Amino acid sequence: MRRAAAATVLLATALAGCARRSAGVPPSNDLLIVGYDREPDTLNRFSTHILEDIQTCVVEGLTTTDEKMNVVPLVAERVPTLENGGVVLRADGGMDVAWKLRSGVTWHDGTPFTSADVKFTVDAINSPSYNPESTDGFDRISAVDTPDPLTAIVHYREIYAPYDIQFIRGALPRHVLEGRDVDRAQDYNRNPLGTGPYRVAEWKAGEYIRLERVAHYWRGDPMPAVKQILFMFVPNTNTRINQLKSGEVHIVAQVPWDKYKEVVGLPGLAIRRTPGNAYEHVTLNERQFPPFADVRVRRALTHALDRELYVKTILDGLAPVAHGPIQPVSWAYTDKIVRYPFDPARARTLLDEAGWRVGANGIRERDGRALAFTLITQAGYAIRESVAQAIARQLRDVGVDVKVELHDGTAISALWFEGKFEAMLHWWQMPSDPELTTFFAADRTPPSGRNINYFSSAELTTLLYESDRTIDREARKRLLARAQAIIADQAVEIPLYNVVKLDAIPASLQHFTGNPTNTGIFWNVHEWEIK
Amino acid sequence: MTRFLFRRTAQAVPLLLLISALVFALLHAAPGGPLAIYLSNPNVRPQDIERLRHALGLDRPLAEQYWAWLGAFVRGDWGYSYSDGRAVAARVWERLPATLELVGVAIVAAVVLALPAGVASAVKRGSRLDRLVAALAMTGISLPAFWFGLLLQMIFAVLLGWLPSSGRTVPGGGDLIDHLRHLVMPAAVLAFVQAAGWSRYLRGSMIATLRQPFVTAAAARGVPRRRVLLRHALRPALGPVLAIVMVDAALLVSGAVVTESVFAWPGLGSLFTESLARRDYTVLMALLMLASFAIVALNVVADAAHTLLDARVALT
Repeated sequence: MRRAAAATVLLATALAGCARRSAGVPPSNDLLIVGYDREPDTLNRFSTHILEDIQTCVVEGLTTTDEKMNVVPLVAERVPTLENGGVVLRADGGMDVAWKLRSGVTWHDGTPFTSADVKFTVDAINSPSYNPESTDGFDRISAVDTPDPLTAIVHYREIYAPYDIQFIRGALPRHVLEGRDVDRAQDYNRNPLGTGPYRVAEWKAGEYIRLERVAHYWRGDPMPAVKQILFMFVPNTNTRINQLKSGEVHIVAQVPWDKYKEVVGLPGLAIRRTPGNAYEHVTLNERQFPPFADVRVRRALTHALDRELYVKTILDGLAPVAHGPIQPVSWAYTDKIVRYPFDPARARTLLDEAGWRVGANGIRERDGRALAFTLITQAGYAIRESVAQAIARQLRDVGVDVKVELHDGTAISALWFEGKFEAMLHWWQMPSDPELTTFFAADRTPPSGRNINYFSSAELTTLLYESDRTIDREARKRLLARAQAIIADQAVEIPLYNVVKLDAIPASLQHFTGNPTNTGIFWNVHEWEIK
Repeated sequence: MTRFLFRRTAQAVPLLLLISALVFALLHAAPGGPLAIYLSNPNVRPQDIERLRHALGLDRPLAEQYWAWLGAFVRGDWGYSYSDGRAVAARVWERLPATLELVGVAIVAAVVLALPAGVASAVKRGSRLDRLVAALAMTGISLPAFWFGLLLQMIFAVLLGWLPSSGRTVPGGGDLIDHLRHLVMPAAVLAFVQAAGWSRYLRGSMIATLRQPFVTAAAARGVPRRRVLLRHALRPALGPVLAIVMVDAALLVSGAVVTESVFAWPGLGSLFTESLARRDYTVLMALLMLASFAIVALNVVADAAHTLLDARVALT
C-alpha cells in the first residue's frame, strides 16, 4: 500500500515536471494543428463520401468555389463560358466545353499535368469497374478530345448547367492509375498524387494525417507559408472543444452553435462566421401524412412558428431566418417571395378553413382523424433538439399534436431515402450550382431524387428542368426566381434558418476566408500565413 | 484438463455460429446501411446509391450475404471495409496494440486498487475504512465514463495544462514519456470504474469465505492472521471474482468504447464507434466476433484458473 502510494506520488511528480511542455505548441508557420471531427475514409476525392478538407490541400480541381461561392479557376486557366467561347451549344442539343489547362503545372512526382489526365478521369469514372461516390455529370459526357496536352474538349450529350464544377475534384493521375483497380489502389487512395500545395507525409490510423508543403508548388516558391498541417482525428465534440481551449489544436471548423459561448473570447482565437449554403427546415411529407397536401395546412404551420424567436433565443442570434431553399450567398437568390410572419391567429383561421376543428382535448380533428404527426430529427445536436421541442410546443398552441423522435444520422438518411417519415427537421447542404430540380421536381421523389416533400407541381417541374438546360446566367436567374416564388407561395416546406458556419482559427492567421460550400475552409490554404 | 478444453471448445463453436447469425441479422435490421451516409452529399444522386448498392452486393438477399460472409470469415478472409475499402483484418490489427496497451495498464491498475480495497473492507467490515471504500466504489460505479473523462480533461488538460487531453501520441513524439502522458487519463478512468466494481465483488466473496469453517480452523491451529487472510481465505475468495475480471477484460479488449471515443484513443473501441455510425458491416462483424470469441475464451480460462485457486472446484 505504502509502496503504491509512493509510486503514485513519484509518477505525479514526474508528470508535473513535464507540465510546461504539454500545454500544446502555439500556431506558427511551422505547424498548424486542426481538430478534425472524423478520420477520412479515403483521400481519393472521387471515392470519399465525407468532406474533402484534407484532400483539397493535396488534389486541386480544375476550378473551385471561393468564399462567395463563385466558381474560380484553379488548375484551369479560366472558367469556360458561352461569352469566352469555352462553351459551345451544339445543334443536336448537346454541348462542348473546352478546358484550357495552365502550363507548367506538374503532379507532385514531377510528371506534367495534361489533358490526358482529364480524359482518363472521365473514362475511369464512367467505367463499370470503378465505383466512385457520384457519377453526376460524368454520365452525360460522350467523349473527351485532347487536341493538345493543355486542351481538353468535353462533349456532353445534353446541356448540363453545372459543367463549370464538373472537375472540382481534380483529376486522377493517368500514369499512376491506368489499367488498375482504382477502388483497391490503396497506395493512391491513402496518399493521392496531386498538384496542390501539400502532400500527405504520414497517416497514422485512428490518430492523425500530417501534410507537408511540396517543394516547388506551381504558383511559385514563396507559397505556401505554412510548412505542415496536422489533422488530428477527434470525433467527440466535447473533447475537440477542450483541445481548442487547452491550445492543443489551433483550428476547429464548424464549431457547433451550442459551443459558441465556450470558445468565443478565448485568447489568441478568432471565431469566423460564414453564412452557409445550407438551410435548416422542416420537410412535410405529403405522401406519408396526406393532410400536408393541403396548402392551407402548410401555410398555417409556417405561420404558427416564431422563427425570429428561435434565432434570438436558441441560436443566440448566430444565424438569420431563412425563407427558401436558395440562400443569400447564391447568385440565384431572390427576396421577392412571399413571407410568413409569426401569426398564430392566422394559422388557426387557415386550419379552420381547411376543415380541421378543435376537438375535445384541444387537438384539431377532421373526419374523426386528429391533426397529429411525428417530427423526426437527428440525435446529438443540442440546438436541433431544442428547436424540435419549440416547434412541437408552438404547433400545440394552434391545435396540432407533434411528437418528436430522435434518430442517429445513418438512420435518418435511410428513413428519408425510403420516405418513411411524416415530418423531418434537418438541413440540406445545397449544391454550389443552384440546382433545385432534385429537391422539388415532381418526378424526383426517392429513389430518383430528393423531393421528400412528395410535392408535385407541373409548373414548377417544367421551370426547374428548363433552368437546368439554361447556360445563360441571367435567363437562368429569372427561371429560378420564379421557382423560388412558387415554392414560397405553396409553402412546400418550412424554412427555418440559414446554417451559418462557425470556424475557430488562430487570430494570427492571415487570408482565411471560410467557405459556404462543401469545398470547405481549406480551399485557399496556399495563401494562409501566421503573422 | 485436455478433455475439459476439448469439450468447451466443441461447445463454443455452435455458440459462436449462433451469435454470428444473430448479430448479422441485428446489424442489418438497424435502419440505414453503409451507403446511407453518402446521401449527405448533395451531389450524390439516389441513382448513385443504387449503382453502389449493386456493386457492393448489398442488394442480394440477406441469407445469401450471410453465407458469403461466413464462408469467407471462417477461411480467414474478413473482407473489405465498406467505408475505406481496406482489408478488415488490417484495420483491426492496426488498432489492436492501442487497445491492448490501454486495457492492459487499466486492468493491472484496477487489480492493484481493488485487491487491497476489497480485502481491507471485508476484514474491517463496518469500519470507517469500509465506509470510505464503499463510498468511493459507489462513485466509481455510478459515474458515467464519458463524464468522468471530460471532467479529468477539464482539470488536467484545460485548467492545469499538465496532460494532453486526448490521443495516443503527439506526432514526432511517441517516446515512452509521451505515451505515458497520453495514457494516464484514459487508463485512470477505466481503472477506477473497474476497480470500483471488482472491489465490491471481492469484499462480498471474502466475507463469505471468512465465515467458512476451514478459515476458523486455520486460525484455531495458530496459523498467523496474515497467512490466514492472504492464503487460506483470499485464494478461494478470488475464484468467483476472477471470472468477473476475465469477462470484463474480454469486454474491454474488444473495445473500451466510451473511454476510447472520449479520449480519441485509436483502439478497437473508437473503430467500433466509427464503424457503427457508418454501418460498416464487415468491420462491425469482425469486431463483434472477436469480442464474442474473447468472452468465450476468457471464460474457459477463468474456469480453469478457478480450479487452480480453489481445490474444491472441479473441472466439468
